[in-house]
Amino acid sequence: MTWDVSRRVFLRGAGLAAVGVGMAPSSLLVRTAQAAGAGPKVLVKVFLRGGADGLNFCVPYGDSEYYNLRQGIGLPRPGQAGGVVNLDGYFGMHPQFAPLAPYFQDGRLAFIHAVGNPGLTRSHFDAQDYMESGTPGDKQTATGWLDRAIGQIPGREVTQAVSFSAQLVRSFLGPEPVLVAQTLTSFDLRAPNWRAEAEGRLTEMYQSDSTQVGTTGLETFEAINTLLRAPAPLPANGAIYPAGNTGNALRQAAGLIKTGVGTRCIYVNVGGAFDTHSNQLQGNINDYRPLGLALAAFATDLGGMLDDVVLMVTTEFGRTAAVNGAAGTDHGTGYAMLVLGGRVRGGRVLGQWPGLSRSQLYQNRDLAATTDFRDVFQEVARAQFGIGASLFPGYTPGAGVGVV
Amino acid sequence: MPVPETLGPRVALHLLNRAGYGPRPGDLESLLDTGPTKWIEEQLDPGSDPELDTRLAGYTTLGYPTSQVLALYNADNRTVGVILDEFLNAKVVRSVHGRNQLQEVLVDFWFNHFNVFVNDGFDRYSISSYERDAIRPNVFSSFRELLGAATLHPAMLYYLDNYLNTVPRVVSGRTLGGINENHGRELLELHTVGVDAGYTQTDVVEASRCLTGHGIDNIGQTGNYLYRSANHDNNAKQVFGLAVPGGGGESDVQKLLDYLAVHPATARYISKRLAQRFVADDPSEALVSRLADVFLRTNGDLREVTKALFGSAEFWAEAFGAGKPKTGLEFVISTLRAVGANVQIPRTARTAIQDSGMPLYACNPPTGFSNRGADWMNPSAQLYRMNFALDLAAGRVAGVTADVGGLIRSGGGDPGNPSSAAAAINKVVFGRTLSAASLAAAARVTTSGSVSVQARVAGLLLAGPEMQVR
Repeated sequence: MTWDVSRRVFLRGAGLAAVGVGMAPSSLLVRTAQAAGAGPKVLVKVFLRGGADGLNFCVPYGDSEYYNLRQGIGLPRPGQAGGVVNLDGYFGMHPQFAPLAPYFQDGRLAFIHAVGNPGLTRSHFDAQDYMESGTPGDKQTATGWLDRAIGQIPGREVTQAVSFSAQLVRSFLGPEPVLVAQTLTSFDLRAPNWRAEAEGRLTEMYQSDSTQVGTTGLETFEAINTLLRAPAPLPANGAIYPAGNTGNALRQAAGLIKTGVGTRCIYVNVGGAFDTHSNQLQGNINDYRPLGLALAAFATDLGGMLDDVVLMVTTEFGRTAAVNGAAGTDHGTGYAMLVLGGRVRGGRVLGQWPGLSRSQLYQNRDLAATTDFRDVFQEVARAQFGIGASLFPGYTPGAGVGVV
Repeated sequence: MPVPETLGPRVALHLLNRAGYGPRPGDLESLLDTGPTKWIEEQLDPGSDPELDTRLAGYTTLGYPTSQVLALYNADNRTVGVILDEFLNAKVVRSVHGRNQLQEVLVDFWFNHFNVFVNDGFDRYSISSYERDAIRPNVFSSFRELLGAATLHPAMLYYLDNYLNTVPRVVSGRTLGGINENHGRELLELHTVGVDAGYTQTDVVEASRCLTGHGIDNIGQTGNYLYRSANHDNNAKQVFGLAVPGGGGESDVQKLLDYLAVHPATARYISKRLAQRFVADDPSEALVSRLADVFLRTNGDLREVTKALFGSAEFWAEAFGAGKPKTGLEFVISTLRAVGANVQIPRTARTAIQDSGMPLYACNPPTGFSNRGADWMNPSAQLYRMNFALDLAAGRVAGVTADVGGLIRSGGGDPGNPSSAAAAINKVVFGRTLSAASLAAAARVTTSGSVSVQARVAGLLLAGPEMQVR
């Protein structure tokens, strides 16, 4: 796939302008301090790749069917050993999300239940593709929904959109530049004693390549220079991130937001063991413990700047309502989203609960989806980027669920 | 078969880059001498490789059956680290030093097609057997043999939870076990007919029912394949147009695999995957159709399908295209090969492959790593690649020796003269395909200072845009 190259070149200059040529790190810090709550708005999407089970993520312990369906893997009611953290007397969140309880209580954390993909598929591949392209049922869409979103906001610096992932994610596929990195630590060319020369010569070489290889090379040098001139600050407010990829990514995400390098959109790819076909209880603990700690640290670290941020945690599909033969669950439909941010209208579990009785289940097996994921994505993009027009070809999103 | 009779250096480089991991010094000239037909024939029928055998002689655990790995682990749990280390190192050594390059590329391709995850519990102990016993012997077999070996290998049965896939049984009022759809679904979606074939959720369940009872005898002790008839659903099934009569027992899965292995949708899906690896991210419909025809005509003879790839006009036309971006593995291995590296301790190379987003054998989802080159182009991956190339040219990759000066001299160049050194590398490594801009940039490097001219010139050219594609 080729993109309009003219829109992507000269990135290096754009990046320098965004930071301010010659701006000393100290003045960046000053700007950071002043920016609390009034800086550019940022959308963070955390993607749990593998189909995270919504029913043990945001647990409907008040639905009498839950414990019938989940024999052996049902999470106990609040107050019991290993029980869920009560949210509203009907739903509780996974016990490993306990560090987030203060944010639910003060209204900065919300859950949305029974979100789903109307182009029904139980294939990881297709469901991820539909969610990221934003066009369920159509695999031919050339761009990702976040690429279309950031295409509508001003600025073209490579740090405007950052994806913490091993590869370019489908959501960002398209003509807009995006910095893809597993880590931004030591993000520099390794050419001791001739670094400047190596960078200069390599830039010439990549400039002469008009393919994706050339543009990616120039983005690489732009990113190196932007990040070198604006080193990420240490975690603030006593925030302690857990070890591991999710903690590292969210620590660096907060660093980008605090540093002010024009970042508006961040994607954190979480490749855990969400595909819990077996031994789900332990798998969820292993994944949700670092996730809960990392999200809480992210919120702590940002302090007042959390007002500028809407972070949403999502996945590609939910799982079967009933336990399977291996203390796990198979691929399903409706799932739960988590939304965190200073201006989130939280403290609530949003969405329409479809119920878990057999006749209420989709195809007698899955939690039904009552909220189209595109409605939520558009609602968040509207709040953070001011985008009113539909980001989803062929679909007119509804008003959303009132999460922001 | 329209394999060109004679090759220019650009086309020779293309063949070595696509059918293998790129040229080592001298490979281009040698291919230009022997001609492509003979080279391809040799690669399709791999012979002995005594030099590689010598290099691997010290890797004493490569042949251990899973039961032996488990026994050693149970006696001392540190042993599995050593065994895995040898397994991972052998991948690098074979890819860099093996003469049967196409075989190595195909082992990588088919392992990835039938992906399992090295960090998934039992698979740590069985992954070596999986590649050695199920994948490697079958890359030139029929697809049916490969499919059967991969499907019923304990590593796959564990990874896709089929060892837990059983007919539900009621014992004193309680239901035990039940269908686990994981393997049945991926068998259809990823391994055979592909997600667009038109199967339904019911087909997934029916395929899973065929697979019930196929498991592992003892995960912690012996790790061998075992079929348990009591766990098998012995009623009739109907899978995607195949009627499986009741009472078939363990033959149900064989009937299913027989059917899926030569299904027209499988022929197309496999052909497209191969064309994606060897020809282009988005291969033409005409090429996929022709390969699928060969697949169906030969009952899925993988040697014939692979051979047809190299007989296609589309394959050779790609020599004049923009190139396909390399994966992290392809970049690191091809760069090591380009400088004639002697890899004694592959650990640093493994780290570089991992940093490029492609940790060896550690793709968690069953989809495997992407076959599309475009998916591997991003600033982080490019930076790691450039840094590996700069390290290699400067002799900073631990465990690897490379004579960059000798490489330049072998191309008739002077390692102390930038333009002469660049011209020699262009000839030996790139088949004279480097752009004028790259040659000019390399020719302008500083000739004084603590970094040698050869490290600068080779570093730039190996870190440059031409090396990023194959």
